[in-house]
Amino acid sequence: MIGILLAKFKGFIRNPWTFVIFTGMSMLMAFIFGGTGVDKAYVPIHGDEKIKDSFIGQELKELEGFQFSWMTEEEIKEKIESGKAEIGVVLGDNDFSIIVGVDSFNADLVQQIISGIYQEKLEREQILLAAGQNSSDEKNILNEMDLAMEQPIFEIKSASFRGEGAFVYDNSLHRVFGFSLFFVIYTIAYNVLPILIEKRQGIWDRMILSPLKKSEMYVANLLYSFITGYFQVLVIFLMFRYVVGVDFHGRFFETLILLIPYVFSVVALAMLISSIVKNVQQFNAALPILAVSMAMIGGAYWPIEIVESKFLLMLSKINPLTYGMEVLHGVAVYGYPMEELLFPISILILMGVVMMGIGIHLMERRHV
Amino acid sequence: MIELVDLTKKFKQMYAVKNLNMFIERGEIVGLLGPNGAGKSTAISMLSSLVEPTSGDVRFENNSILKKPAPFRKVVGMVPQNIALYTDLTAEENLLFFGRIYRLHGKELERKVDEVLEQIGLTDRRKDVVKKFSGGMQRRLNIGVAMLHDPEVLIMDEPTVGIDPQSRNYILETVKRLNEDRNMTVLYTSHYMEEVEFLCDRIYIMDKGNLIASGTKDEIKQILSSEKTISITMERLNDEFVEVLKQNPQVNRVTTGEKEVTILVPRDANVFSEIIRLAESTGIELNSVDNKTPTLEDVFLHLTGRALRD
Repeated sequence: MIGILLAKFKGFIRNPWTFVIFTGMSMLMAFIFGGTGVDKAYVPIHGDEKIKDSFIGQELKELEGFQFSWMTEEEIKEKIESGKAEIGVVLGDNDFSIIVGVDSFNADLVQQIISGIYQEKLEREQILLAAGQNSSDEKNILNEMDLAMEQPIFEIKSASFRGEGAFVYDNSLHRVFGFSLFFVIYTIAYNVLPILIEKRQGIWDRMILSPLKKSEMYVANLLYSFITGYFQVLVIFLMFRYVVGVDFHGRFFETLILLIPYVFSVVALAMLISSIVKNVQQFNAALPILAVSMAMIGGAYWPIEIVESKFLLMLSKINPLTYGMEVLHGVAVYGYPMEELLFPISILILMGVVMMGIGIHLMERRHV
Repeated sequence: MIELVDLTKKFKQMYAVKNLNMFIERGEIVGLLGPNGAGKSTAISMLSSLVEPTSGDVRFENNSILKKPAPFRKVVGMVPQNIALYTDLTAEENLLFFGRIYRLHGKELERKVDEVLEQIGLTDRRKDVVKKFSGGMQRRLNIGVAMLHDPEVLIMDEPTVGIDPQSRNYILETVKRLNEDRNMTVLYTSHYMEEVEFLCDRIYIMDKGNLIASGTKDEIKQILSSEKTISITMERLNDEFVEVLKQNPQVNRVTTGEKEVTILVPRDANVFSEIIRLAESTGIELNSVDNKTPTLEDVFLHLTGRALRD
């Protein structure tokens, strides 16, 4: 078994291009579509100078995730009509309206945020009214209150991410995860494919005639595919974490650990494909169709939450990539504890075991 | 030493090999001849315990290989028809890899690798990556890998397909030397009659899954004792001439080459004057008319009505 692994790694060093190309592609695509993590959604906004300088204006300025650009109402409409902005906001003294061009998840989010700010503004005004103080003390009261808010006696945090229709979207992480999990399918599959080629060439016949056990032959080949696949994602994650500066929200190490079930299931999937196709040409034709379909319905290109077709959502339930994304998002974006992730991890392992079993069985039946 | 008893392999409704009976004695080179699709590769796959037969048995030293393959696998070396090598590795790395899977290690492995490289004439190219080798060199290494563990039996499945005459001669000489120096038993499959004639003590001929002839070279050629082969060469092949030859009652079989027609006629028939007459009547200018010693190719033609490489 060690001999096979050594031979495989020597071959890898001589011809690393599959690995290099797919690693490069993952990085490039994640970089182009995901950016560096400082991307903000562009939202044109209108309000008079008083509002701009008020509490509302200050709060909007400090908001992360959105880039609010002040302009006239006409300009906002123009931006939306020309497709340069999805939504726009017109602020009043006590209310606001949102102009929606594209019904995206950002519209709900912006509405939620601005409502919150207005509510806070109202609360502050009520506090001042209740205090009944003159204007010179207003500042002191508000400063005292802000200070108290910054250093609360009790800190209460509540979070709910599994509610209907609401989800947290981190574009940079999503792209890194999505493209990594997508392109690693190719790297792994093209490392499993040699089993089929070597069987046809007679290399496996030679090994079968040797004292080597068949289980050792499979384990060595599949282990090699697993290691290269895992190494590829590791390189990409390291690159985005430490060079590009994408924020894994302090769960980088956990992300790397919880990647293992996904890589295992993809190795098993590649084994299954290799056992079904009759030759390399069929494999080359089937792989992109399968990988791209998996990426589309598994949430690698776009969040699975925006898919509405029940049929596609049903298909996504038998797709390892769906669960791979769920695990990675769960750990890095939502900060789920391990118990919360046991379900997708179990599904991935189950899929891996079933596909591996069927794959090896078919391979043995068809190719001896 | 090795015996194939009523060996049959059926794929769906088609027989790849049907009731094949063969034996191979220790130290002999046995040829298994037949055109493409004759069932040779399936037969040797069953013989080497890689493919399970539909029925029949393969016996090595009177023990069934099917029931207990390990003792036979230990002493057999297999040269597959394809280049079964890691082409991204060097010749030496390939030999080291296959040596390791045969549980050779350390100095013993190094000694065997040196020895095999010497035998196949690739010592100078040991550090070169296999994909840069010529077809002939790859074939030689393909054979070398099978010799690493000093097998008693070498099974070679068309080991000279697609290589230059020089490399082919080298391989044939190597096989001959292995047999003579080490008393290695060799089963050699090919559809090149001249290779089998050069190498083999005994020959089995297969066609469409059936064994159609067997025996020593002379015994096989005796099949043609009632016929002789006449080779006619000309400037340009003429269909009309071929047709009149086929219709001639003295001519048993006709096969055509680029500028050559080969006919089988009864041994006592005098057809030279008839051939010249037919050539004149069809306007053909003949270059030569030769009475040939029968070859295995002629035997195959006689038995199947087709040339071996059809």
